[in-house]
Amino acid sequence: MSYPFSDDQEELRRTVRRFLTEKSPEPEVRRLMESAEGFDPAVWRQMAGQLDLQGLVIPERYGGAGHSYAELVVVLEEMGRALLCAPYFSTVALAANLLLATDDETAKRDLLPAIAAGRSIATVALTEHSGRWDADGVAMEAAEADGGWSLSGEKFYVPDGHVADLVLVVARTPAGVSLFAVRQGASGFAATPVPTMDQTRKLARLRFDRTPARLVGADGQGWPAVSETLDLAAIALAAEQAGGAQRVLDMAVEYAKLRVQFGRPIGSFQAIKHKCADMLVEVESARSAAYYAGWAAAERSDEVPALASLAKSYCSEAYFHAAAENIQIHGGIGYTWEHPAHLYFKRAKSSELMFGDGAYHRELLARRIGI
Amino acid sequence: MAKDAATDTVRRGGAEGFRRSVRDWIRANAPAPGGPYEQWERRLLAARLICPAWPREYGGSALGPLDALTLAEECARAGAPLVQRGVGEHLIGPAVMEHGTPAQRSALLPGIVSGEDRYCLGFSEPDHGSDLASAATAGEVRGGEVVVTGLKAWVAEPHRANMIAVLCRTSPASPAHRGLSLVLVPLTPANGVRVCRIRELTGSYGLGEVRLDGARVPLSHAIGGVDGGWAPAMTALAHGRAHEAASAHLGFEERFWELVREARKSGRAREPEVRAQLAWAYTRITLLRATGLRIAARTAAGADTSGEAAVAALFRSEFGRRFGEIAVGVSGAAELVRPEGDGYGLSEWQEAFLTGRGATIGAGTGEVRRNAVAERVLGLPKEAGGGGR
Repeated sequence: MSYPFSDDQEELRRTVRRFLTEKSPEPEVRRLMESAEGFDPAVWRQMAGQLDLQGLVIPERYGGAGHSYAELVVVLEEMGRALLCAPYFSTVALAANLLLATDDETAKRDLLPAIAAGRSIATVALTEHSGRWDADGVAMEAAEADGGWSLSGEKFYVPDGHVADLVLVVARTPAGVSLFAVRQGASGFAATPVPTMDQTRKLARLRFDRTPARLVGADGQGWPAVSETLDLAAIALAAEQAGGAQRVLDMAVEYAKLRVQFGRPIGSFQAIKHKCADMLVEVESARSAAYYAGWAAAERSDEVPALASLAKSYCSEAYFHAAAENIQIHGGIGYTWEHPAHLYFKRAKSSELMFGDGAYHRELLARRIGI
Repeated sequence: MAKDAATDTVRRGGAEGFRRSVRDWIRANAPAPGGPYEQWERRLLAARLICPAWPREYGGSALGPLDALTLAEECARAGAPLVQRGVGEHLIGPAVMEHGTPAQRSALLPGIVSGEDRYCLGFSEPDHGSDLASAATAGEVRGGEVVVTGLKAWVAEPHRANMIAVLCRTSPASPAHRGLSLVLVPLTPANGVRVCRIRELTGSYGLGEVRLDGARVPLSHAIGGVDGGWAPAMTALAHGRAHEAASAHLGFEERFWELVREARKSGRAREPEVRAQLAWAYTRITLLRATGLRIAARTAAGADTSGEAAVAALFRSEFGRRFGEIAVGVSGAAELVRPEGDGYGLSEWQEAFLTGRGATIGAGTGEVRRNAVAERVLGLPKEAGGGGR
């Protein structure tokens, strides 16, 4: 496989960038981030109908396009760059990946084609009050009754949980961590959007009260699939972060060339140059991290868990640093609501905190490489 | 898609096949740790693997950048790195290849491959460390020769070289880089070239000053012609950076795992801060490789990767410094003491720690590297007052 990307993959990048330039310009991002739903259903349908994006990595036998994870890295890098407001990450990087990671053929056949076609918005409900991303953080219990299952309890920080028609819930049974599918509208199920610091990424609180749920995969065998999904989601997020980091660097450099102070462009001052050079080093390395991890995922390499943590920790910090420096280089205007710098800055921090920050993933990495 | 996947499998199979054959060859030919390395060098030479990426007519094997990287990786991992006797293999050779005449290529390249000519780099001067365009060493064209007089500083390993690539000013009237020539000067006392070795803060004498006192060099050794030395000099440095970028991880991988083994043994690998530092270092080493692969792949596709290589070189130099700091920190009290013996011998981690200070100075200080990257890659305006080039 060509590294980092083949001509076809670069063509995909151009297509997605054109689409997002048109569909996700800054005014649109601002309109959607202020809306309750947080996305435009018409654009969501076009993403599926025109570009096959929701089904990108879903195998053809489940109605998808059957591309590799390297393609998804390209797409998410562009989405991060455009700050796209859509439940794409939750539907594709979380829910579809989780279904694919299970061995539940029936569930895959039932649920994936609608996702691939853009008819279903899906997400994964893992985190609870504790805000933990590991198996020990899963306390919610599932009860078995009359040959079926029901869920009671609460899930927090669920990406796009308020607009998802399908929620894959991680809960405990006497046999261990297990996966359950819940449909929007199921009895006792309530999804409430919560106000988020980063308004471009919507989160919801989910309540379950004896809500009927369908077991996905074998009872008690859910965690390996969740763990695999968290790794793939970390790589997906790293790609988004690399794209966002590149965008804020571009903004900072563009401004530094134009803004004149003391009779010269501020970009001619070494203090600014060195900031930009350091940002560039980190942005390039972030792209290397996301591409390398995406490549490993496409190859289904044993190194995926280590590289996922590596990419997540590096890209989280690189994006945050670049987004913060972008504000600083813009000075006063960068501190205003009117300027887009804060949109990226907030997205950078929310992406860093989601699924564990740099320190969390460095420890995971240490364990995963056997230290 | 199905067709692409099949092609990819074939391509991947090809790359893995090459790696396997390289491993087999190394197993059959590499010395045990510790040598004898003379024999290893002879075997590499016989197998045309001293400059593996060069065309076959100049003694290379015409390997693409990715295969060359695979070869370098496998040799390094086997404890028998590829041979490099100075800056000929990765700086001067490529500059001759790109800017030399056919006659210069035939005359100069085979000596680099055979090891007969071992080059050091005479670019910097005492008053012009990183600011090469200000080079003041004089080059006077007299008949068919250039007569070179001046002092070159911060020359790496001059005592191992028999040739020095000198950037000298052949047209004093022309401003900055337009009056410079790149001449390849025999480094012998008989030719008026004297080396004065400088002791580094590590205690070793790797650096030196080279004084040229009317040293003579035929015009046929001026690469890029008289006054045309700036372009080949920049090519040499760019190739050096590209090589450094592609192979940067090699020097760190083995040492990293050795540090991990020590940390396990001492129990420090259980300390959260030590674990974090080791994971931090592993991340950078992996990214050196990932970026090196990206650059090698783009080079293979014919792209100009000088910008990416400059960025990668900056990343590597900063990491190199930090790695030494982490290593002595993880090793701890043991680094208070030097090995027994004469002189100022160092432990491996002391060596890494002390040479690290040079990582962000040599081949351009971190500050100059940042300026260059900001101006040439990002296109930021030059500093007012002539600070730039």
